[in-house]
Amino acid sequence: MKMKLTGHQQEMLDGKHGEAKKFCMDKLVDFGKAVEAEEMVPLVLTLNGVPIWAKDRREPGMAKKLEVYDLGHSALYDPIFAMKDAKVADHECTKCGSDPYLMQLDKYNVKDAGPWNFEIPGKGSFKIDEEIHRAYQDGYNKMSEHGWLNWLSCTPYFNTCIPKMGEYCASSESSAACYINTILGARTNRESAVNTVYCAYTGCLPKYGTHLDENRAAQCIVEVDDEVRDNVKGAADWAALGACIAEKANNRIMAVLNLPRKMGPTATKQIISCASPGMNDPIMHLMGYTPESPTLEAAFKGKMPKNPERYKVTIDDIVEMFRRLNNVVPAPGPERAKPVDIVIMGCPHLTFEEVREIAQMLKGKKVKAGVKLWVQTDTPSYHMAHHYGDAKIIEDAGGKIYHQTCMAMTPMRHYPAGLTVATDSFKYCKLASGFGQKWIFANPDALVNAAVTGVFTPTPRWDYWSKPREMRQANEKDQPLYGVPGPFMS
Amino acid sequence: MVQNSAVATGEKIVLTGIARSKGKAAGKALVNRQRLSWAFAGVGNEDGVVLDPAADIKGECVKDRIVVYPTVYGSTSGAASLYFKCKQSHHGPAALICQHVHWIDIGGAIAGEIPAVDTLDKDPITTIKTGDWVEIDAPEVGEKATVTITRKQA
Repeated sequence: MKMKLTGHQQEMLDGKHGEAKKFCMDKLVDFGKAVEAEEMVPLVLTLNGVPIWAKDRREPGMAKKLEVYDLGHSALYDPIFAMKDAKVADHECTKCGSDPYLMQLDKYNVKDAGPWNFEIPGKGSFKIDEEIHRAYQDGYNKMSEHGWLNWLSCTPYFNTCIPKMGEYCASSESSAACYINTILGARTNRESAVNTVYCAYTGCLPKYGTHLDENRAAQCIVEVDDEVRDNVKGAADWAALGACIAEKANNRIMAVLNLPRKMGPTATKQIISCASPGMNDPIMHLMGYTPESPTLEAAFKGKMPKNPERYKVTIDDIVEMFRRLNNVVPAPGPERAKPVDIVIMGCPHLTFEEVREIAQMLKGKKVKAGVKLWVQTDTPSYHMAHHYGDAKIIEDAGGKIYHQTCMAMTPMRHYPAGLTVATDSFKYCKLASGFGQKWIFANPDALVNAAVTGVFTPTPRWDYWSKPREMRQANEKDQPLYGVPGPFMS
Repeated sequence: MVQNSAVATGEKIVLTGIARSKGKAAGKALVNRQRLSWAFAGVGNEDGVVLDPAADIKGECVKDRIVVYPTVYGSTSGAASLYFKCKQSHHGPAALICQHVHWIDIGGAIAGEIPAVDTLDKDPITTIKTGDWVEIDAPEVGEKATVTITRKQA
């Protein structure tokens, strides 16, 4: 099948707009054939990774270093960087940005500023290699020169580049892709990190996959139990709910019923972040939230079977998900406390509101000596937190706030051995589970408490919900979790 | 392991499917029943060794093998990592055969210049056995591709 190209697309393919655009169009046309695309779509957003731009990446010393740091994407840029006058398609109104990567560039040499450069007394230290830092800075600079915005965030959809309903995007960041499809109603695949290099320079991409209605249709229903609906609170709860929904749907697109009436950015961001670890198609029809799905019929794109497959997420599923994600055995003895080395929040990147809540919880407290508390956010929120004083509260307490990076984008396999990491991110627990650390999965209030005390201790709320159902119902009214409003409870 | 008697020892079976990335390849099959991620954490970028603890083929090296698996799993960076293994470290697979070559892997296979085939007339996961000799002829993307399977030894 031959793809229909617009006049401008044909000109790019014919080389009339420079070598880089021709090179990239060639690749995209090839890809279009493979996916049987009939035409290209114009893009408003392209999101992928900044390369480590090594001048000779196969030189043995450098190759050895790149094996530690490079995802495999960097060499894709080499031919384009070698071309003259290559520019991304910003004149087409395509904003081209990047996912978080190795470090906060201006704090590379600042000791203990974040996951790229830290020491845990008695356990060891880690710092990203100097030569890699330089090559990464070179890649960053070259991209800037080409017109990339380099926002280095996985949540540009909140504040930096906000696609509108029906617009097309190419996001190789899976969680961003799922948010863009599910909450904004714009259309993107979990785009391969190969295509996102090419389509940035052309501003277009074959229309395929999740761009098309037929690949966005719900295939089953997942219903949230009333008990879950009324009791999920906190970033980890939302992430666990997303994980359970994805698991029930078993890699099919689902329509989710009976969600709480008011879910803010934290809830939706955490639910959709199951996209890469839990499912392949980056769309969930969250009924009441997903703009293209005002009705179930619409979620199924008019093809709802008489008796669609139906699954239910119960509180027991959520509790079981927490249990599975926590792979740390409590210390022996009457204490159930689990020692922690690193407490990390911000996968996906924290919103300013979330940063502020963490600061409020930390106010007047001190992070335990030897424990890292890492507060990971995007650039706008980082600067807002500095402007409004939240960053100062966090740093005065001994925590660190940083932007432009993500712990899982640093080579965690090369961290000091035997570290325990506590987080509210399902994605971290799942995708980074093979990197040698032990994981604790918990809500932000429990995480802040763990950072302050140096040990993770289950909350009264956890104690209540993790009881067998019969005991729970018998005691429900006496539970301390009711009537104790606090951060993350509303 | 999945038992299959469709191919007797030494016998050939020919399947047809659709090429998602073009090329010719021949090599020993490596069959994985689980979804697979080509990202560096799933299959080592420099040595091509499968790291995913849940994979049937964990510990195997994919270099020059025809890797057979249902479809993708995990990170979109798998596309770039597949390209890297094929074109940079030269520890990539010779070809991919899937029930559905996911779009992420199509991008990686095209950039890595290895053939990738799906939509076969028989389920590749149950029809092909690890160790079978497999030849792929996939001349044009989006067009018919031929997969010839020869079972060597029991």
